Amino acid sequence: MFSAMIKKELLLVLRDKHALMALFVLPAVFILIMSVAMRDQFSSKNIEFTLFVKDSDKTQMSQEIIKLIANDNKLVQIKEKSAAQFFLVIPKRYEKNSKKLLKINVQKSLKENEIEVFKSLLSEHILKARLHYMSQNVEEYSSKASRTLANLEISTDKLYKVKYKNSKKLPNATQQSVPAWIVFGMFFIIIPMSTIYINERKQNTLMRLNSMNVSVFAMTFTKSIPYFIINQVQVWIMIGVGVFLVPLFDTPALAINGSVLAILEIATGLSLAAIGISTLIAVSASSSEQATTIGGILNLLLGAVGGVMVPKFIMPESMQTIAEYSPMAWGLDGFLDIFLSGANTQDVFIDFIKLFVFGLVCLGISMIILQIRIKKGL
Amino acid sequence: MIKISNVTKTYGDKKALDNLSLEIKEGSVFGLLGVNGAGKTTLLSILNALVEMDSGEVEIFGHSLSKEKTKIKSLSSIIPQHLAFYENLSVKENLDFFAKIQKASQEDYDKAVTVNALNGLMKQKASTLSGGQKRRLNIAIGLLNNPKVIYFDEPTVGIDPKSRKEILDSIKNYKNLGITVVYTSHYMNEIEKICDEVAIISEGKLIEQNSLENLLLSKDNKLVSVEVVYCDALKELDVKFLDETNIEVSKEQLCELLAILEEKNVVIKKVHYGSTNLEKHFLKRTGAVDV
Repeated sequence: MFSAMIKKELLLVLRDKHALMALFVLPAVFILIMSVAMRDQFSSKNIEFTLFVKDSDKTQMSQEIIKLIANDNKLVQIKEKSAAQFFLVIPKRYEKNSKKLLKINVQKSLKENEIEVFKSLLSEHILKARLHYMSQNVEEYSSKASRTLANLEISTDKLYKVKYKNSKKLPNATQQSVPAWIVFGMFFIIIPMSTIYINERKQNTLMRLNSMNVSVFAMTFTKSIPYFIINQVQVWIMIGVGVFLVPLFDTPALAINGSVLAILEIATGLSLAAIGISTLIAVSASSSEQATTIGGILNLLLGAVGGVMVPKFIMPESMQTIAEYSPMAWGLDGFLDIFLSGANTQDVFIDFIKLFVFGLVCLGISMIILQIRIKKGL
Repeated sequence: MIKISNVTKTYGDKKALDNLSLEIKEGSVFGLLGVNGAGKTTLLSILNALVEMDSGEVEIFGHSLSKEKTKIKSLSSIIPQHLAFYENLSVKENLDFFAKIQKASQEDYDKAVTVNALNGLMKQKASTLSGGQKRRLNIAIGLLNNPKVIYFDEPTVGIDPKSRKEILDSIKNYKNLGITVVYTSHYMNEIEKICDEVAIISEGKLIEQNSLENLLLSKDNKLVSVEVVYCDALKELDVKFLDETNIEVSKEQLCELLAILEEKNVVIKKVHYGSTNLEKHFLKRTGAVDV
C-alpha cells in the first residue's frame, strides 16, 4: 500500500510542469542571477574606503605605513576627519614599542563585512612596514637573521584593536546564494503539495481512500516521502549549479569545506521542516488558491527574515535576533557553517534538531486537523 | 441484510438524521430518495464508516458498524458523486493504485475493467476521458475490492443519456453478481428503472419504505408508461416522452397509443401501469416543490 501511494504522489508531482519549474528551475536561476549580481558586492575588487590618518608617532615606520596607504587605490586619504569612513591613529612610540596597537574609529554606517575588508587591506601595509623596519634594523647584525625575520608570520590580531560582533567567516556571493536559494527552493514544495492535497479533498479522493481503510498517518507519511526525495534532489542539483555552472559566469565557484554527511543532515532537517509546514497549510486551507497564497507569503516572510533575501550578517542586530525564529535561518546557518567553516555533523546538530522538531510538530498538528476534517466529512 | 436502527446525526443545531430506521435486503437494488439536505449523503457516509453517528445502531451483513469499522469498510464501496480519482494519471494507473491500496485480486480487477467497458481506455489519461467514461472509471474503482454492497451517490449527474443508460445497465448487472446496491438519485425514472425497493427520507426522517411495485400501484394512479425500442418513427409522434424510449399516457389513451405505435411499426418492450407516479408520489409525500 505504501509503495503504491508513494508512486502515485511522485507521478502526480512529476507531471505537474509548473511545480517542477518552481522546485528546480526557479531556485537554479535565482542562484545564477544572485551569485553573478552580487559578485562585486561580496568581493573587494571595487571597494574604496576613505580614511583620515593621524600620525602621532612621526617615525620612519609610521611614514612607511602612510606611504603604503597612499599607494593603495582602495584606500583614499582625505583631509576632513569627519567625512572619513575610518579614522586611523598611529600612536606615539608605535615604532619603538611593538606591543602598541593602532587605533581605528569606524563610522556607524559601515557594515561588518566592510570593516573586515578594510582590516584585511590595512593589515597588508602594516605587516610590510613592520617587516621593512625590522629587516633594516637587524641587517647590521646579521644578514641571515634578517632573512629569518623577514619570513616570520605576524598575527593580524596583534596589530590593532577593533571589536567585532562575531567571528564568523563571511561568504562570497556564491557561498551566500547557493544555500539561501536551496533553502528557499525546498520550501516551494508547498505549491504541488497543497494543490494535490486540496484536489484530493475536494474530489472526495481522500474520502475514498479513507473508505478503503487508509489511515490519516498513512496518508500523511506517504505524501511526505516523495517530497523528501524531491528535496534531496533539489539540494544536490543546486549545489551542482554552484560548483559547476556559476563559475562559467566569471563568479567564484561554491567550495564545500564541510562534510557531505553534514549536508545530508541539514538537508534532512530542512526537508522535514518544509514538508511539515507545507502539510499544515495544505490541510488547513480551503482552496488551492488560498494555500498557494498563504504558502507564498509565508515563504517570502520566512525567507526575508531568515537571511535568504538579505544576508543575515548585514542585518541590524535586532533583525538578526528575529531571524533566529525562522526555520529557513536554521537551515541557512547550517549550510553556511558547512560551506564556509567546514562544519561536521556534530557542529550543525543543533540546527538539525531545531528543524526536525519544527517539522514533527507541524506534521503532528496537520494529522490532527486532517483527522478532524475527515470526521466532519472533509 | 443492512439494518439501520434509530440512527441520529446532528451537525451543530441541525439534525441531519433523526431517529432513522431502515432495512435493506441483501442482493437488492435499494433506492434512497430525498430532496437536497434530506440526509441521504450523511446516511451513506455513516454506512461507510466515514462519519460517526451520534446514536443508534447499524448492522451490515451481521457486522456491527460501531465495533467492526475496518471489516465493514472492506465489505463495502462508495461511488461518490464527484469523480474521486486522479485526472493526471491514466486509467490503468488509477486502477492499479486503488487496486494495490485494497489488495484487489487480478480477477476482481479484470471484472471491474470489463463490467465498465474500460479495456480500450487503459492507457488514456483520465482527464481526456468523456463524462460518461469518467463516471465508469469512478464506478470501476469502487468495484475493485469485490464489495458485497455498493453505495451510489448520484452517479449520473451531468452525463449524456447514452452514458447514463450504460451505467444503469451495469448497475442492473451488479444485482446478478449478488451485490447489494444502495442508490441515491434525483432522477425518478432512474430509480424506477433499476430499484426493487425505495425509501423516501425528508429532514432526516424516514417517510416511507416500500417495494417499487407497491409504491407505483397506488390507487390514485391514472397514468401508464410505455417503453419502446428507439426508432426514427418516434420523432413523428405527438405524445409526452419521459425520456428517449418511454412514453407517458393516461389509462384512457393507452389503446389509442398502442394502435398508433403498431401503425408506425414501433416495437413495444413494456407497458407499465402507474410507472410515472413515483415523482408525483415523492412530491406528495415530501411536500417538496422540486427534486
